[in-house]
Amino acid sequence: MATTQQSIFASYDKDPKFYDEIFDEKGNVKKVYQTLFDLYSGHSSQDFAKLNDKAKASFFNQGITFQVYTDQEAKEKIFPFDLFPRIIDQKEWDIIERGVLQRSKALNHFIWDIYHDKKIIKQGIVPLDLITSSANYLHQMIGVDPPGGIYNHISGTDLIKHSDGKYYVLEDNIRCPSGVSYVICNRTALKRALFGVFNHYNAHTVTDYAQNLLEIMESVKPRGVDEPNCVVITPGVYNSAYYEHSYLAKSMGVELVEGRDLFVENDFVYMQTIKGPERVDVIYRRIDDAFLDPLEFRPDSALGVPGLFSAYKKGNVCLVNAPGTGFADDKAVYTYMPEIIKYYLGEEPILNNVQTYHCSRPDELKYVLENIDKLVIKPVDEAGGYGISIGNRLTQEEIEKVKKTIQASPRKYIAQPIMSLSVHATYIEESESFESRHVDLRTFCLQGADKEFVLKGGLTRVALKKGNLIVNSSQGGGSKDTWVLKK
Amino acid sequence: MLARVANNLFWMGRYIERAEHVARYLNVNYFSSLDAPNEKSQSRDHVLHSLLFMANGPVEEDYELTEKNAFYDIGLNPEKLFSVLNCIKYARENANGARDLISTELYESINKFYHFVLNYDADFFVSKGLFDFTTQIAESTSIIRAKIRGTLLHDEVYAIIMLGVNIERATQIVRIIQAKYYDALKAQGGYDKKFSKSYEWTTLLKCIEAYDMMRRHYKKTPTSLSTLEFLILNPECPRSVMNSLVQVKNHINVLNEDKYPEKDSAAFLIGKTHAEYRYKTVDTIEGNIESFIEEIQDTLIDIAKKIEKEYFKY
Repeated sequence: MATTQQSIFASYDKDPKFYDEIFDEKGNVKKVYQTLFDLYSGHSSQDFAKLNDKAKASFFNQGITFQVYTDQEAKEKIFPFDLFPRIIDQKEWDIIERGVLQRSKALNHFIWDIYHDKKIIKQGIVPLDLITSSANYLHQMIGVDPPGGIYNHISGTDLIKHSDGKYYVLEDNIRCPSGVSYVICNRTALKRALFGVFNHYNAHTVTDYAQNLLEIMESVKPRGVDEPNCVVITPGVYNSAYYEHSYLAKSMGVELVEGRDLFVENDFVYMQTIKGPERVDVIYRRIDDAFLDPLEFRPDSALGVPGLFSAYKKGNVCLVNAPGTGFADDKAVYTYMPEIIKYYLGEEPILNNVQTYHCSRPDELKYVLENIDKLVIKPVDEAGGYGISIGNRLTQEEIEKVKKTIQASPRKYIAQPIMSLSVHATYIEESESFESRHVDLRTFCLQGADKEFVLKGGLTRVALKKGNLIVNSSQGGGSKDTWVLKK
Repeated sequence: MLARVANNLFWMGRYIERAEHVARYLNVNYFSSLDAPNEKSQSRDHVLHSLLFMANGPVEEDYELTEKNAFYDIGLNPEKLFSVLNCIKYARENANGARDLISTELYESINKFYHFVLNYDADFFVSKGLFDFTTQIAESTSIIRAKIRGTLLHDEVYAIIMLGVNIERATQIVRIIQAKYYDALKAQGGYDKKFSKSYEWTTLLKCIEAYDMMRRHYKKTPTSLSTLEFLILNPECPRSVMNSLVQVKNHINVLNEDKYPEKDSAAFLIGKTHAEYRYKTVDTIEGNIESFIEEIQDTLIDIAKKIEKEYFKY
């Protein structure tokens, strides 16, 4: 046993700079992972190579794939799935669950306020130009009352565990957060591959997501509708998330529609069925705001439905999530999240925001200028990673330059400490062994008119390249099954 | 059900069925020709022409008629719209469009099938793999049919798929009859010197996997008359044109519940065609095989067009 243990964990790096999810400071396996670790050590590296191939084939045969386009042809690829699950105990999960729910609710209040009274701006807590400068702020939404008063029915909050062992929120996604279908696939794949491991732990199910999503959608039905007809709208079979769209529709038992299946007449929305038009009441849309309705937003959109927004404004159809939520999940608003939570809910934030220094405040500016090498400098009004300087990657010369830029217009900049993502044991094909890789966690939170739900599990994304901190699937990231333990 | 998705399901059914008939024809016709009793039936050109005719239509004059070319084009050539590979590709694309409506199990069997065909080694196929490949196609389509029958609700979704399957089946059976009819004209002789007792009728029955049951039914060597009667008019022969029409009629009734369907509806035309074949006798067909073939092909096209117009408009 000892030798196999050595071989499958032989290349595991223990770097004290990062929080290790599996091993403690002394290099011992943490209690919650002990059973798993013992069971895995009973498998040889050949066993894992075989299991890894089987798991890949299972994803491939099920068609859980995305397209990669090369010069000649489109190739199908699977999202890499890791054989070592992440375990979150009940105590830790309880904080995460309450925390993401709190953020999701606060954001909903915030969006309502911004599109109505703008009290938070009038009271000087959030600056006006932060909102109006955002490309995702929709003037069309001013004064619109969405059914049930809900904007962000579905929120995906991304968390990391920093070297201090605490969870921090990296960002909230409240437009069309994706990835939930992989949570469920990962569970299925892990159970199939390693059923003898799974039954040693008492983990919450993740298959109840679809049922809860449908209930949330039904709770925000338009006025006067008894049994709402709910659908999922997708850009089509060539969209990279099409598998997820079809999975969600299938598991809810509702139709998966495209824009060309729908039409609007007298501000009501209908779909073309084999028996003629049928009214649609609630639409879970997986199309971005700009493409929803060519009459209201981008006129060249072929994905959307002409007249959809007008039907929405009249309250004849509900869109999940509401249009115009995007201004509230950008980087600049993020820094105000603690204030936003306090203002609307009168509560202290449960989850940590990454510490943010506003260069507009003199004492904070002083700290920033003295500690640039330990900080990430971000402009408040840019999106997509533009204008960001990472302090420990700058030369002395560049630091001086950044300092000057900040001093020239301190209101334009914020600074945050450089966060380090925790590491987790991850199966690496090349070495046929488990190595340490950085991970984050996407959670899924639902809120409706009369209910709320947080999926007990999540998508643990893992950067498969050594030392890489970027976990996105587009950058070669994979994912892990995530177990939330019962009490 | 969405009209667009219904269209996908209909064509999913058609392409799966088409792939199976083409593959089976390739398999049976080729192997039975190897030791055919007369020279013409045994000639390579004769059988390759027959294979290409069935899969696509008359062979163009400048076509380089070699075994490898013919096999590749019919089986795995991505450039040929009629290849088995493309049938499976289109079947899967259509299944993708209806992925939320069909069962996970059905989708997985189609998807696995697609990858099997896509990754099949073309060199191996044209030199050694003909039997293996075509047999696998027949097995995979059987599995898919079982998943359709055994894992879907027998509602409108099922009815639409089965309409596609049965219209395609009738179309392909007629196509195979047509191909073998021409073969029989060209290769008269064998056990007897007459057209009506050509060896090609036996091959025809085998191409439809109906030979054994035909022998059980008639207890005689197949002739043109008994073969055509069995394959066109016998409602108990599972792949006969008549049996397909019965199925089409049953399934259209799920979509159209009118007792007296309107005269320009698909249900009306299907009912009319069904009634016509029910009271047809083989002697009216045997003398005019060519015009029968033309007529039934036109009718099947009309039925499909009417279904499309009535149910798939979006």
